[in-house]
Amino acid sequence: MDVTMDTIPSPLRPFCVVRDRIPADMTARVTARFDVHGFDPVPSDGAAPWADALLVERADRDCLREAFHRNPFLMVELGEGGDEPAALMEDWSGAPAVEPGFYLSLTTGTAYGLQCAVLVCDELTRRGALPADHRANVEMCLHEAIANAIVHGNLGISSAAKNQPDGYRVFGQLLRDRLGDPAIKRRRIDIFCRWNAATIALAVVDQGSGFDSAPNGGGPTGAAVAKDGKARSGRGFVFMRALASRVAVTDGGRCTVLHFDL
Amino acid sequence: MEFRSRVEQDTVDVQLSGRLEFTDHDRLRDIIDLLEGPGLRRIVLDLSVLDFIDSAGLGMLLILQEEAEQRNIKLVVRGPQGDVKRSIDLAKINEIVTIEP
Repeated sequence: MDVTMDTIPSPLRPFCVVRDRIPADMTARVTARFDVHGFDPVPSDGAAPWADALLVERADRDCLREAFHRNPFLMVELGEGGDEPAALMEDWSGAPAVEPGFYLSLTTGTAYGLQCAVLVCDELTRRGALPADHRANVEMCLHEAIANAIVHGNLGISSAAKNQPDGYRVFGQLLRDRLGDPAIKRRRIDIFCRWNAATIALAVVDQGSGFDSAPNGGGPTGAAVAKDGKARSGRGFVFMRALASRVAVTDGGRCTVLHFDL
Repeated sequence: MEFRSRVEQDTVDVQLSGRLEFTDHDRLRDIIDLLEGPGLRRIVLDLSVLDFIDSAGLGMLLILQEEAEQRNIKLVVRGPQGDVKRSIDLAKINEIVTIEP
């Protein structure tokens, strides 16, 4: 096991991820996903050999705010009925530790309805990373990236479901069905934040099937709106491209990286 | 998102509050059900106290527009403010839906 844990009888369980014991393939996979231009790469020899982390059995807004105030790098929701040893070996443990920055890993069941973008932007503000005049743009783009990751990524619901007659009923039923599936609800939404004086970079990762991020690749890239202004979906990427300084999609459509120049 | 509605003659006025976002599809169905009221000719969506709308919420406005059109009911969006107005402008929803200040 590459992760050591304390056993503290608290909803928030501190532990540390021991970096030099994480499998190299996991580190490489996750680092490639978070390939963030404008930041120096984390030197493998200069980084701390461990990262402070908090494990939460089941997250809610208050619990996460309390956890954020302890300033961990990693914050991970295990999730109800989860397999703890397996969860400890998920990709989040390979997330490159950066300073300043933080990493939040939630189950889809929790992320749905939690207003994660508000929570993350509140934390970015608390840590002095997010100027007030950038808040609306960052929150909107992050919200859209998270919504895409939940709905199209982890819940696996295509935008096309909405763009058909009576599509909203079909879409609503699909949402209820997928959120009722325990295995789907446990899929992870990971949010990775780092910043410097000039830029904030945010990455949102899901565990869905991904999509072809080319404009005509069939993914939620805004092509439907470009083709038909009345399309009922597809404006999320339109917003992100308009409001973020740069938007990149990596990991076969499973990771959206947003940059905001300050 | 929360909403409250009031029917006056041939118009139903629906005031939305809070956040209209991708988790609100079930509430959309409730609003569409209001269109079944007898003798209805007009629906006014009052967004003056709505705090936030995302792209899915804008899609819901378009769905409401289509559902209203199918019933020969005129949809008007009224009073969007702040970030809600900015999102509506950014998505050029005013080219499809009647927006009143």
